[in-house]
Amino acid sequence: MDVYFFFEWLDNSFLATMSKAYGGVFAVVQMFHLLSLALLGGTVLLADLRLLGVMLRDVPSRVVVASTQRWFDVALIGSLLSGIFMSSAVALKLYYNEMFWAKMASFAIGLVFVYGIRRPLLAFDHATLSPWVLRLVAVTSLVIWFTVAASGRWIGFS
Amino acid sequence: MLNEWLLALARWLDTHEWSTALHESLYMYAWIETTHVLTLMVFLGMLFMIDLRMLGLAFTEVPASKLADRLDRPMMLGFAVMVITGFLLYYAIPERTTQSIWFRIKVVLMIAAGINAFLFRAKMLAADGSWDEDRRAPKRMRVGAGLSLLLWAGVVVTGRSIAYDWFDCNKDLSYLMYWAAGCVDELARFE
Repeated sequence: MDVYFFFEWLDNSFLATMSKAYGGVFAVVQMFHLLSLALLGGTVLLADLRLLGVMLRDVPSRVVVASTQRWFDVALIGSLLSGIFMSSAVALKLYYNEMFWAKMASFAIGLVFVYGIRRPLLAFDHATLSPWVLRLVAVTSLVIWFTVAASGRWIGFS
Repeated sequence: MLNEWLLALARWLDTHEWSTALHESLYMYAWIETTHVLTLMVFLGMLFMIDLRMLGLAFTEVPASKLADRLDRPMMLGFAVMVITGFLLYYAIPERTTQSIWFRIKVVLMIAAGINAFLFRAKMLAADGSWDEDRRAPKRMRVGAGLSLLLWAGVVVTGRSIAYDWFDCNKDLSYLMYWAAGCVDELARFE
């Protein structure tokens, strides 16, 4: 399936009119994208490093996971909305950018991983899960989200 | 006076071979900048969690001072990496950065955020855990946490804006903008 039509539509949408004409608006939206990155990465780091036993060892992992999940969702929505707006400014260019697709692929994997595997799994009592399963989940999560962030930054360089 | 001095320093740094090498490198500059940006997740991520705890919006089951204490070291580690990579980014492009209005606002905001953080820490130590179990910290702490979030958001947006050339000295700007950006040569033309 070719999704070119979506980028073409985005390029002609009112979002693009705004993002292309007003550099200031773009910069502010980009700030929200970066703040969302900080929040998303922060919650991922906290929860995963707790599961690995590196940080917050004297706080139950259930508490850390529960507290970070809500803010992960907030950050995800924030980065998604700001990301779509930013994409509209260079939609057709992004369609031909390999790094953009690397980011989208790892982002899609991240979504499936978080909502399809990580959350359902961590909803169980952590004591009943094998420590190696918890460690594996944590490392996988760290690798996926680091890839999303790094490939995202690299779109600008490529 | 200060502008002349800062510009002289920037021009001296600019003569360094390493500064040029960094600026013209194919990947090194990009890697340093990527590290600078991604470390936001470590530094700001931890800071957000501490501030949100004070506001009663995250980790409410965990005592406030305990969370602040446990997250302090990773946060400062992230800050250290940001300072080092930030200095290298400045070192790679010293002259333009010195005369960037965004960079100047960013430095002012960081000083304000630093003072705020210092006062926040002092108030926290003075309280000695008296409100630790409360869902929300007292108002003075919440104000500090809110200010911290706002100031750092400002640092992020001004930091990102350095890359834009809207107000570079070589553009046709007003006297006020030349003054604020410290465009020494352009200001001299008004004399």
